[in-house]
Amino acid sequence: MNTKTGLGAAVRAVMRRAIREYRDSPDTVAYLERHLERMDEPLRVAIAGRVKAGKSTLLNALVGEEIAATDAGECTRAVTWYRDAKSPKITAHLVDAPSRDLPIQRREGALRIDLSGTWADRVDRVVVDWPSQHLRTMTLIDTPGLESLSTEISARTADFLSGDEEPAEADAVIYLMRHLHSANVRFLESFYDQGIARATPVNTIAVLSRADEIGAGRMDALMSARRIARRYCADEKLRALCQTVVPVAGLLAQAARTMRQAEFNTFVELVASRRADVEAALLSADRFKRYDGLQPWESEDLLNRFGMCGVRLAVTLVRQGFDDPQRLSEELVRRSGLGTLTEVLNAQFTERTELLKARSALLALDVVLSRVPRPETQSLVVEVERIIAGAHEFAELRLLSSLRLGTLKLPAESLAEAERLLGGLGAGPSTRLGLGVHASTGEQRNAALDAVSRWRRRLENPLSSLAMADASRVIIRSCEGVLADLED
Amino acid sequence: MSVSAAIEVVDVAFQAAVAYGRADFGDRLRQTRCRLTEDGVRVLVVGEFKQGKSHLVNALINASVCPVDDDIATCVPTVVRFAEEPSAMLVRTTTGEAPAEGKAVPVDRIADYVCDPANRQGASHAEVGVPRTLLAGGLILVDTPGVAGLASLHGAATLAALPLADAVVFVSDAGSEYTAAEIEFLTHAAQVCPNIVCALTKTDLHPHWRRIADLDRAHLADAGLDADVVPVSSTLRMHAVRTNDHMLNTESGFPVLIGHLRDRIGGEAGQLACRSAAHDVLTITEQLTATMRAQLSAYQGGGASDGLIRELECAQLRADRLRQRSSRWQQTLSDGIADLISDVEYDLRDRMRQIGRDAEREIDEADPAAVEDRFAAWLQQQVSGAASANFVWAMDRAQWLAGQVAEHFAEDGGKVLPDLSDIDFMTMTGSIDAIELPRDEKLKLGNKLLLGMRGGYGGTLMFGMAGTLVGMALLNPLSIAAGLLLGGRTVRDERKRLMQRKQMEAKSAVRRHLDDVIFQLGKESRDMLREVQRRLRDHFTTQAEELQRSVNDSLQAAQNALRTNEEESRRAILDLKAELERIAALEEMARELTSSRELVAR
Repeated sequence: MNTKTGLGAAVRAVMRRAIREYRDSPDTVAYLERHLERMDEPLRVAIAGRVKAGKSTLLNALVGEEIAATDAGECTRAVTWYRDAKSPKITAHLVDAPSRDLPIQRREGALRIDLSGTWADRVDRVVVDWPSQHLRTMTLIDTPGLESLSTEISARTADFLSGDEEPAEADAVIYLMRHLHSANVRFLESFYDQGIARATPVNTIAVLSRADEIGAGRMDALMSARRIARRYCADEKLRALCQTVVPVAGLLAQAARTMRQAEFNTFVELVASRRADVEAALLSADRFKRYDGLQPWESEDLLNRFGMCGVRLAVTLVRQGFDDPQRLSEELVRRSGLGTLTEVLNAQFTERTELLKARSALLALDVVLSRVPRPETQSLVVEVERIIAGAHEFAELRLLSSLRLGTLKLPAESLAEAERLLGGLGAGPSTRLGLGVHASTGEQRNAALDAVSRWRRRLENPLSSLAMADASRVIIRSCEGVLADLED
Repeated sequence: MSVSAAIEVVDVAFQAAVAYGRADFGDRLRQTRCRLTEDGVRVLVVGEFKQGKSHLVNALINASVCPVDDDIATCVPTVVRFAEEPSAMLVRTTTGEAPAEGKAVPVDRIADYVCDPANRQGASHAEVGVPRTLLAGGLILVDTPGVAGLASLHGAATLAALPLADAVVFVSDAGSEYTAAEIEFLTHAAQVCPNIVCALTKTDLHPHWRRIADLDRAHLADAGLDADVVPVSSTLRMHAVRTNDHMLNTESGFPVLIGHLRDRIGGEAGQLACRSAAHDVLTITEQLTATMRAQLSAYQGGGASDGLIRELECAQLRADRLRQRSSRWQQTLSDGIADLISDVEYDLRDRMRQIGRDAEREIDEADPAAVEDRFAAWLQQQVSGAASANFVWAMDRAQWLAGQVAEHFAEDGGKVLPDLSDIDFMTMTGSIDAIELPRDEKLKLGNKLLLGMRGGYGGTLMFGMAGTLVGMALLNPLSIAAGLLLGGRTVRDERKRLMQRKQMEAKSAVRRHLDDVIFQLGKESRDMLREVQRRLRDHFTTQAEELQRSVNDSLQAAQNALRTNEEESRRAILDLKAELERIAALEEMARELTSSRELVAR
C-alpha cells in the first residue's frame, strides 16, 4: 500500500535528519539510531497482566512450543524477549555490567532459563533468540506479573510498559485478565497515555485468560467466557482502554498445539473404560490423580499439561467422535479461542505494523526534541507536527479513539459502521467493508463506492453536526484509500 | 461448658442478687443474659470477586440461597441465618430519619435483587432464613460483594462492616497465590477482626492446590498474619451432598471448615461470651462476699472489740477512697473524650485535605469535562475509604479510653469493659453523597461565531478606520483579513479561558464537596463519640454505684454489729456463713465457665 510506505518513509526521513542534527551528541544519536533500526524489526508485542494471569502459557500457545517456563507459583521474574533468529541463543542483559550468554537447557521438552546466579537481581532483561516462524512477524515480550507480592518485580513490569521517562519499549500490548478487576483498569489507564497519536486503545488487546476455569470449570465454561468477553467489549470503561476482549484458554491451547500421540492414546483409553469410573475420577483433580486405570505419572502429566477442564473436554470430544489426534487437536485449539486471538492479532497488529512502528519512532523522537531542544531543530518539531497532523493513518487513529472514548458521539447505527470503515476491526480492505474474506474485487469496489456516497450524504446534510461532518471527512478518505488500493 | 450453662449461672446469680436485696445488680445481669441468648456468631465471607464466595456459602449450608453465576457478581450483602421456614427479605437503605424497612420477597427470586448491579430496589442488604442445623447454633453467614482493591466502594463498605463480625472467612481460589492487594486487605482486616480463616476454593479444578496452599501460608507468615488456610471445593461438597457420599464430602474439605467455624470461631465467640458472663457474675459475687465478710467479722469480733472498730475504719476508708476516685474517673473520661473528638476531627480534616490536594492535581492535568464520571467515582471512593479508616481509628481510640477509665476500678476488682461493638456507624459511610460537578459548558458554534465576530469586528473597524485615513474604503481586503485574524484569535483565547474556568469551577466544586463531607461526617462522628461517652459514663456510673453500695453495706453491717447482743450475733454468724458458702458455690460455677475448654454451640 503506497499510503503506508509513504508514512514509513516520511518518518524514517525525519529520523535520519534528526540523527544528522544531533551528530555531536553520541548518546542521542545512538538512541535515535536504535529507534530507526527498530522500525525494520518485527513488531514488539508485550504480554502483560496480574500475577498468574497465564502470560507465559499464552506465549507458549502462540509460539506452539514450550519456550517460556510455567509453574503453579509465580515464576516469570524478569522481562524476557522472544525473537526469531537463525540459531537459538539466550542472553541476559544486566543493569550495570556487560551482558552474558546463558546455557540453553531443555527439561521435559520445555526451555529452562537459569537465573540463579549472583547477578540475578541485576537483570534488566533476558533475550531469547529462537528460530520459529511464529516469531517472524512479532517479537513477543513476556513480563513478570503486576500486583505481585514481591513489589520489586511488579514495579519492574510497570516501568517497562509505561515508563514515565522513556516511551514504552513495546509497540503493542496484549493484556491478560481473569476478571475485570479494578487493578486491571487502573493499569490499563496508566498505560493509556496522552502522547503523540493520542490513541493507545488502538494498540491494546485484552484477553480474558484462563477461560476454561470460569464457572468452576464446567463443560460450557468456554461458551460462558465468550459471553463475558462480549459484555466486557460493550463496557464503556473498557472500550476506552482496549480494542477488543478475546477469551482464551491458554493452557488448553498450548497443550493442544503440542499434543503427543501418547496423550491421545490415553484419552482413547479413558473413553473405552467403564464410564461411571471415569466420571467419578473426573470429579476432581485429586481423584483423577488416584484413578487406577492410569499410571500415576500418566494422569499427573495429563493434568499438568491440559488442566482439569482440558482433560474433561478432551474426553468428551473423543466420546463425541473426534477419534484421530489431528482432528482432536484442531478442535481443542478451536475451542480454546487461540484461533480467534491469532485472527485478532493479525487484523489489529500485524496489518498495522508500519503505523504502530511509525508511532513508536515519533514518540521517541518527540522525547529527544522536547528534552534537548536546539534552535536548529525547530524545523524538525514542525516536521513531526506535520506528519502527525497530515498522515491520514493518524487521523484515523485519532477519530477511532475519540469514538471509543465517547468524546465524539455518533448515532448508534452509524457508529458501528464508522469504526469498521476506520479499521477498528482490522485494517484489511474486506474487513473494513464488512465483507467476507472471499469477496471479489468487484464486490469490494461496489461496497466501497456505496460507503463513500453514504458518508458524503452525511457530510453534505446541513442537519449533520460539526462532529459528524469531521468524522465523515476522515471516513470518506479511508474509503477512498481502500478504492485506491483496489485499483493497484 | 456451653452457653446454656452460662445462662444457668447467670440466672442463679440473678436470684441471689434479688435475695440479698441488691436489685441494682439485676440490670447488669439481665443485659448479660440478653447478650448470651441473642448474639449470634456473625461470620463475614469476604474476598475478591469471582473467587467462589457465594458458592462457598451455598455449599456450607447445602442450599442455593446465594446466586452463583459465571459472570454477574453479587452486589448486595446477603445475611443467611437460621429460620424455621425458608424466607427472604430485602432490607432497604435507611435514608435520613426513616428507619430500615424490610420487604419480603420470594426465596427463589432473591438472585434478581442480589445480583442487580444497578440496585434498583435500593437495598442495603438481603436477609435469608433457612432451616439448617449448622445455623441453629446462632451462626450467621454474610455473603459480601467481591472486593476489587481496597480503594473501591465495595472494599470500603466491607472494611466498615468488619468490626461487627465475630469472624472472617477470606476466600481466594486455588488458581493463584495471594496478590499484593489481597494481603493488604487481609492485613487491614486482621487489625479490626482478629479471627480469620482463609478458605482456598476450587481445589477440584486446580491440581496444584497443595503448592498454592503452601505458598499462601508462606505469604501469610511473611505478613505476620495468624490465619489457617483451609482448602475446600464447593463443587465436590454439593455433589457429595446430592449423592450422599461421605468420602467425597471429606475430600471436599468442608468438614474441616465447618469444624473450624463451629469449634474455633463459634466456640471462641461462645467462650468469649461465657467468659464475659462469668466475669460479670464474679464481680457481683466478689462484692457480695466482701459485704458479708465484713458483716461476719463484725459479728465475730463481738462487742466493741478492737477488730470491729478497725473494720469500721477500714470500711470508711474504702468508701472515701471510692468517692475520690469517682471524681477522678469522670475527669479521665471527659478529658479523654474531648481529646478524642479533636483528634478524630483533625484526622478527618487531614485526610480530606490530602484528597483535596490530589483532586486538584488531577484536575490540573486533564479537561474536567472529559473525565467527569471517572473523577466523580474516584473522589467518592477516596472519601468513603478515608471516612471508614477514620472511623476504625476512632473506635480503636474509644476502646483504649474505656480501658483507661476502667483502670480506676481495677483496685476494687470492678474492671469490666463496656460493649461498644454495636454502635451504629454504617449510616456514616453510607451517607456520603456523590459530588456534583459543574455542568459542562462547551463553546457552541453560535457562540463561537458571535465571539469571532466581536473580535473580527473590532479588527475590521480598527484597520478600516486606519485605512480611511490613508484614503481607502472602510471595508478593504486588508481590514477584512485583519478582522478574520483577530476573530480567530478571540475564539482561541475564549476556548482557553473556558477551559481554565472549567478547571477553576471543578476545583471549587471539589472544595465545596469536601467541606460538606467534613461538615456532615464531623457532625456524625461527634454524635457517635458523644454516644460512646454516654455509654461509658452510664456503664462506669452504674459500676461506681454498685461498689458504693457494697461499701456502704459493710459500713452499715459494722455499725449494726456494734449494737447487737450475743445471741443475735451468733445466729447472724451462722446465717452469714451459710450464705457465704452458697455464694462460694456460685463463684465456683462461674469460674468453671472460664476455665473450661470444651465448648459446643448451643
